[in-house]
Amino acid sequence: MDDTTRGSDLLEASRTKISVRNLDFYYRGYHALKNVNLDIPERTITSIIGPSGCGKSTLLRVFNRIYSAYPGLEATGEVLLDGENILDESFSLNRLRTRVGMVFQKGVPFPLSIYENIAYGLRHHFKLSRVQLDERIEHALHESALWNEVKDKLHTSALSLSGGQQQRLCIARAVALRPQVLLLDEPTSALDPIATGRIEQLLNELRDDYTIVIVTHNMQQAARISSYTAYMFLGEMIEFGATAELFTRPQRRQTEDYITGRFG
Amino acid sequence: MLRATGFFYRRRRAADLIAKTLGVVATAFGLFWLIWILVVTLNNGVHALSPAIFTQTTPPPGGQGGLANALYGSLMMSVLGVLIGAPLGIAAGTYLAEFAERHHAWRESVRFVNDILLSAPSIVLGLFVYTLAVRSVGHFSGWSGGIALGLIVLPVVVRTTDETLRLVPNVMREAALSLGIPRWKVTVQVLYRAAAPGILTGVLLGLARISGETAPLLFTSLNNQFWTTNLNAPTASVPVVVFQFAMSPYESWHALAWAGAFIVTVFVLLLSVATRAYLLRNRIDSAG
Repeated sequence: MDDTTRGSDLLEASRTKISVRNLDFYYRGYHALKNVNLDIPERTITSIIGPSGCGKSTLLRVFNRIYSAYPGLEATGEVLLDGENILDESFSLNRLRTRVGMVFQKGVPFPLSIYENIAYGLRHHFKLSRVQLDERIEHALHESALWNEVKDKLHTSALSLSGGQQQRLCIARAVALRPQVLLLDEPTSALDPIATGRIEQLLNELRDDYTIVIVTHNMQQAARISSYTAYMFLGEMIEFGATAELFTRPQRRQTEDYITGRFG
Repeated sequence: MLRATGFFYRRRRAADLIAKTLGVVATAFGLFWLIWILVVTLNNGVHALSPAIFTQTTPPPGGQGGLANALYGSLMMSVLGVLIGAPLGIAAGTYLAEFAERHHAWRESVRFVNDILLSAPSIVLGLFVYTLAVRSVGHFSGWSGGIALGLIVLPVVVRTTDETLRLVPNVMREAALSLGIPRWKVTVQVLYRAAAPGILTGVLLGLARISGETAPLLFTSLNNQFWTTNLNAPTASVPVVVFQFAMSPYESWHALAWAGAFIVTVFVLLLSVATRAYLLRNRIDSAG
């Protein structure tokens, strides 16, 4: 058995939510992901770390096929969500994106009120009464730990919120649709330490309900919040395993070099 | 060493002074003519203003009258121009910014052609519409004037819509798409809202530009001495009346031409100021 599959061995106990099989990704001819294999366990936090340009964001963007919004990008292989291949054309984007939510590096709210930011996705997917809609929005804001700060100004512009609050609103926007998987692409890299702390605390509260995959360039963050960590380099999955294991006893020399800062 | 530094420092100071002076002189030279034109127009225009301007129609040679028919004609044709140019322009700009990504060469060609249309002499557009909508029908009309003005509004709106939509951060698109919302809905419900100030500015700029256009109307709406609300007939417009009356030998016509010039100038000025104020307020809003 090679080292990259060692992780799945450790994970036998927990159920796999997303299973990546022989994934290759091409960006206008550039080979960005090379034969990636990975099993992401259900209802916990998995971090993907690695230096800039290693393909960690690209991998994340395959999980909800957001890359397909751009021409010239192509993924081959399999990404199984509960055993179903999401790369299959017959897997509808609508269905995929209600099950897999995404939060981006910069929390950019829609130019709408706080309430409408969350209501927007809900209205598109569900026929809800006013009361049900209010409930779902309040629930989403509780889940994203924003309710107490915004309950009195739900109908003011979301652009009036602080950066950290905007990012939590984006998380609320995503969890309102009750996805099973939540993808986060460097969600705190534009935030100050206090706002970052709040987001991490929030993710910790969400970990039992969602399968969370977070891309971060901050190794301490990965060590703090995730149960499992994947290390990528130059488009390859170098190592995957329990976070404690990977940070204390990495199996591969490359991983050790990166986490000890001897990289490059 | 110190002396050398002093020499280079003085040389840089001198170069700086020369550049600054040239800049200020060039600005002053440009502003001088602009302010002169404004002062003369406003001065003569204010003296020519009277209630009759808005209540009476254009007079026969040498007689007394107003500009009511020309103001009404200008208003109707400008509105028609915006109604034709703005929706088409917004649709085309949206296509360029949001949906033409997969056809790079085609998109760039359309942008290039649109830029040519943007800088095309308006008299050419007038001749084009003359052939299309005047000769084929057999008479001049307000409709054809509106079409000609619409062709001037069109490229302005295409360009501003295209550019403003491209300024909307990509993450906003991706966030909306990530909620499983289809692209067209994302465009109409999210991106238009984010780009609204810019798109509106484009429409207002287009309106400002056609308010003073004369050349395309000479071949299309021509002119009309009488009050008419029928756009199928030749229609008076302020710029054409100004052009015709200013060239005449009659004092009373000159006064009306000044009044017309004054009204158009003030309208465009207010429109520009309002647009700027709106944009500025909006920018502060989104930054806060």
